[in-house]
Amino acid sequence: MVWEVTEACVESPHGWMREYRHRWLLAILGVLLVLAALVAAGVGAVHVPVWHLMGSVIGGKSLSADQRVILFAIRLPRIVAALLVGSALSVSGLLFQGLFRNPLADPYVIGSSGGAVCGASIGVFLLPPVSVAGFSATAILAFAGALGSITLVYWLARVDGRTPVVALLLAGFAVSTMLSYSSYFVEVLDRDFGTDMRVLASWLHGTIAQPTWPQLAIVAAMLAIGLTGSVPLARNLNTLALGEEYAAHLGLSVQQIRIAVIVIGSILTAAAVALGGLISFVGLIVPHMLRMVLGPDHMRLLPATALAGALFLLIADTVARTAIAPAELPVGVLTALIGGPFFLYLLRKTKQEVML
Amino acid sequence: MRPLIEFVHADFAYGENNVISDLDATICENECIALIGPNGVGKTTLLRLATGTLTPTCGGVTLKSRPLDSLRQREIARSVAFVPQNVEVPFPFTVRQFVEQGRTPFLKMFGGLGAADYEAVRQAMEWTDTWSLRARVFNQLSGGERQRVKIALGLAQEPQLLLLDEPMQHLDIGRQFEMIDLIDSLRSEGIAIVASMHDLALIEGTFSSVWLMSLDEQMQQGSPEDMLRPEVLENAFRCSPRHRPRLLERTRNRMERAL
Repeated sequence: MVWEVTEACVESPHGWMREYRHRWLLAILGVLLVLAALVAAGVGAVHVPVWHLMGSVIGGKSLSADQRVILFAIRLPRIVAALLVGSALSVSGLLFQGLFRNPLADPYVIGSSGGAVCGASIGVFLLPPVSVAGFSATAILAFAGALGSITLVYWLARVDGRTPVVALLLAGFAVSTMLSYSSYFVEVLDRDFGTDMRVLASWLHGTIAQPTWPQLAIVAAMLAIGLTGSVPLARNLNTLALGEEYAAHLGLSVQQIRIAVIVIGSILTAAAVALGGLISFVGLIVPHMLRMVLGPDHMRLLPATALAGALFLLIADTVARTAIAPAELPVGVLTALIGGPFFLYLLRKTKQEVML
Repeated sequence: MRPLIEFVHADFAYGENNVISDLDATICENECIALIGPNGVGKTTLLRLATGTLTPTCGGVTLKSRPLDSLRQREIARSVAFVPQNVEVPFPFTVRQFVEQGRTPFLKMFGGLGAADYEAVRQAMEWTDTWSLRARVFNQLSGGERQRVKIALGLAQEPQLLLLDEPMQHLDIGRQFEMIDLIDSLRSEGIAIVASMHDLALIEGTFSSVWLMSLDEQMQQGSPEDMLRPEVLENAFRCSPRHRPRLLERTRNRMERAL
């Protein structure tokens, strides 16, 4: 009996060999995340050496007053924002890829980000002071926008229970363009036209601006809800990969899973958009890279995607704000530059396989 | 022999289009049924009715005397396994990860696979001779390997009834004989089988009975010897009498006569 268990563990892909690799990857990502955060806190217009930071974290040395302000009022919120946005985008990408059974799905590509921007701009321009249960109208409307657009794209792009690449991309493109540009329309309706213009511009470029701590707390709560909700969905997404009808035969409640993925993916998209606006392709690149290392099992991919997404966007944002200092590049521009070619490469590869 | 699945005056229509009408039939334990009929006659529909993924528009289907629509799909999937004609997997799952999906009806919401599940998966794979393929990527398998792996997934459900949709499709003659051997071995282990078949020459000797569906008549049931006669087939498949020599070649009767 003991032998049986041991043997099953050794032989199974969920056994110690893979388990080991998976755990190692999580540990490495965790260490890299801490290092990247320290470096990101140090670099910028005012350079704070890493050992000063280490000293202050450990408690020995203290930082100068200037350094404190720079760190706690400016850099730290931005670092936290990049981590939250990167994690939320990557995990929602992973969920949507599982739902659409298509490795090219990404919250930006399929229009869910566009919907969130449209919803969020209604919040900013038309209902600024409203808040419900501590959540600002912006966050809630971003969620509603994401939910509405993904439902629309899902309904438009499905053909006989499958989502062909062409249909997905076209429906996503149309919905995304329509909704992101509707934000301009919403802006014009604003009575104080002009005052918040930069907010919309930075959203559409994908900038992680200077978030306040309450904003970060709301987004962190949304990310926590989204990640917790994704855990029970992961194994179901593996089964769903066999096709909806087959998954239904095996006893999966396909309709419930579908709704749960759409709702949770939209919470995550809304969380990302509320802080960072339209940041493209992160949800595509991160899950794909991890799939090359860990294979397609969503249970293994989920925690790794959450960590790697945070790491990826933190590095991208740090590069974006320091590469051409004193000017700053919106991080969305950078991810589009990296992600665009990557997307085309994936499209080409997918075409050669089965999906078109 | 106890009945597993019973169709009781079952009708099924896709919208206005009536596919199955007033079907009365029983699949018993240890039976091995070949389901034949012209294209589009509703063979796959009949199999899906037996899995509960389709519900008859009129009449009913029962599993061990309990109506299918009163059972949860998970419960049905522990007794009845359906092996579809085509499976498209968008991600590079390994063969083993693919077969593990057959344990889905046994898993709890948050639980993973336990030792018993791994054992069932391993047995199903050894049975279908796919254990050596376990680390390969499912999408990169040949047609014959893919067919056996799909059956392994069905066997991982530990079913009493296995429904095979066109198991011989895309197989070369050698792989077809392997499939026949596999069906024989499943049958000797007490698993009932219904397989939709196009190649009539492979039926005799393996299958215990034949269900013949035709476009405008009731389904006919009988032994292979009775059903695989040219007059019967000609009518059901709407073959012109001038093709009778070819039809005879496709059935085993002719081959026996030649021998």
